[in-house]
Amino acid sequence: MIGFARGLALFFGAMFLQWWWNTHFAYWGAAPQFLLALTILIAARRGPVLGMLAGFGWGLYLDVARAELFGASALILTLAAYVAGVVRRQIDLRAMGPLAATTFLFTWAGFLAQGLLGLTFTKSFESPGWMSLLLTPFLNALVVTAASVIWDPRGDR
Amino acid sequence: MQRETRIANVVLGALAALSLLLLSLPLSTPVRSFKAGVGYLLDPLAYHGEAGYRRVADSPERIRRLLQADMENDQLRAELRRGEWVKTTVEALSLENERLRRALVLKSPSSRSPAWAHVMERDPIHWYRSLVVDAGGDRGVALGDPVLGPRDGQLVAVGRVVDVRPMTSTVLLLTDELSAAAAYLSSGTLEGLVQGQDGPRLRMNYLNAESALSAGDSVYTSPTSATFPPDVLIGRVAKVNPRDQFLTFQSVEIDPAADASSLQELMILRAKAPEGEPKPPVYVPVIPPVVVPVSVSSHTAAVEISTSTARPRRRAMAAVAISTAAGGKP
Repeated sequence: MIGFARGLALFFGAMFLQWWWNTHFAYWGAAPQFLLALTILIAARRGPVLGMLAGFGWGLYLDVARAELFGASALILTLAAYVAGVVRRQIDLRAMGPLAATTFLFTWAGFLAQGLLGLTFTKSFESPGWMSLLLTPFLNALVVTAASVIWDPRGDR
Repeated sequence: MQRETRIANVVLGALAALSLLLLSLPLSTPVRSFKAGVGYLLDPLAYHGEAGYRRVADSPERIRRLLQADMENDQLRAELRRGEWVKTTVEALSLENERLRRALVLKSPSSRSPAWAHVMERDPIHWYRSLVVDAGGDRGVALGDPVLGPRDGQLVAVGRVVDVRPMTSTVLLLTDELSAAAAYLSSGTLEGLVQGQDGPRLRMNYLNAESALSAGDSVYTSPTSATFPPDVLIGRVAKVNPRDQFLTFQSVEIDPAADASSLQELMILRAKAPEGEPKPPVYVPVIPPVVVPVSVSSHTAAVEISTSTARPRRRAMAAVAISTAAGGKP
């Protein structure tokens, strides 16, 4: 029961944090993607199923605020959780270095997937802009590292 | 481990199929209903979050204003007593203005009902595409309503409403590549189509190929615009693109007057205010009156008049005969 309540708090808290940062602290069009970073972290720690469910829900939240491509973020975050869940068998995603590197690469993959989905469904490649392309992967890697430290401070990962 | 993989594959298949279905049929009724349902569930997070944030952030300012308001209250009470006379005069002038308009068969300005809204949410990945505001169907906002924003004391074009939910709406910015608005250049009568480019600048196409264009010109919404009221500032010409001999028109780059990154409050021009809402004043673009004498004779003077309600490019030339009792100085 406590675990469920904690999960629910994390689910809504993360959405609130993403909205708050995007609206009040995004400079030069760049902000960390907390929801992507947390989706990867959940998939790495709790398995791909929980990661995909959280990622899909968070993706829908991101999609609701957009004028087009409803479902794109949901699909991207679901795929990110699945791949992170598969990759964790080959790479030790409990360690901070590999986790940060995976998040870094997944951010670019996410931008590419977003562009390709835009090209497929609205005939327009959605470019995130140079600033986001260069800064966001670093910010996401930083967020996932910080979140993994907070996840379990006793080291029992 | 194999069981987990099997479950993961099934969940991935189901969620991916659902996502692709949402992407493929964005205009179908079930998908629109699903989107509205998700918005209904998740929008309050940002809506109440923004309200709470503002309450906390504004607290010191509110306390300062409360103290100031008490001092101003006494002062304003005294002024209010003096203002009764001004109010009576304004009402009389307003009635006279309406009567004269009817006599001259002049059309009244558009009677759209403005509603102010806060920018509630913006996504850095789609910075120049869309944003979410905290006014929705409950405040009479409808699809296609034009959205303006304040800039240096005047209202400028921002975009249009493309999605309405009970308490929030999504605004498609002019800078989105799916946006377009008919517009004209202030230096002449040249009309064109302003289009978004998914970047900080706009592009104005279909300008006469033979016309001389220059940077710095203001761009206003055209009376032919299907969305915006006429004569609302869109931006200024930043660059005239080199002529392409294969095209029959010229194009220019425009710096939009509305800066997507600094918008905090927006004005939505609703077709109709919800019942019970007090009627706000009619929106009219504010343009200072200009009176330029062009010729003077002993008994008559021709003046060029541009009033606050006249179009900036359509200055009415009026010859006003000013009779003087003595035939001397008017």
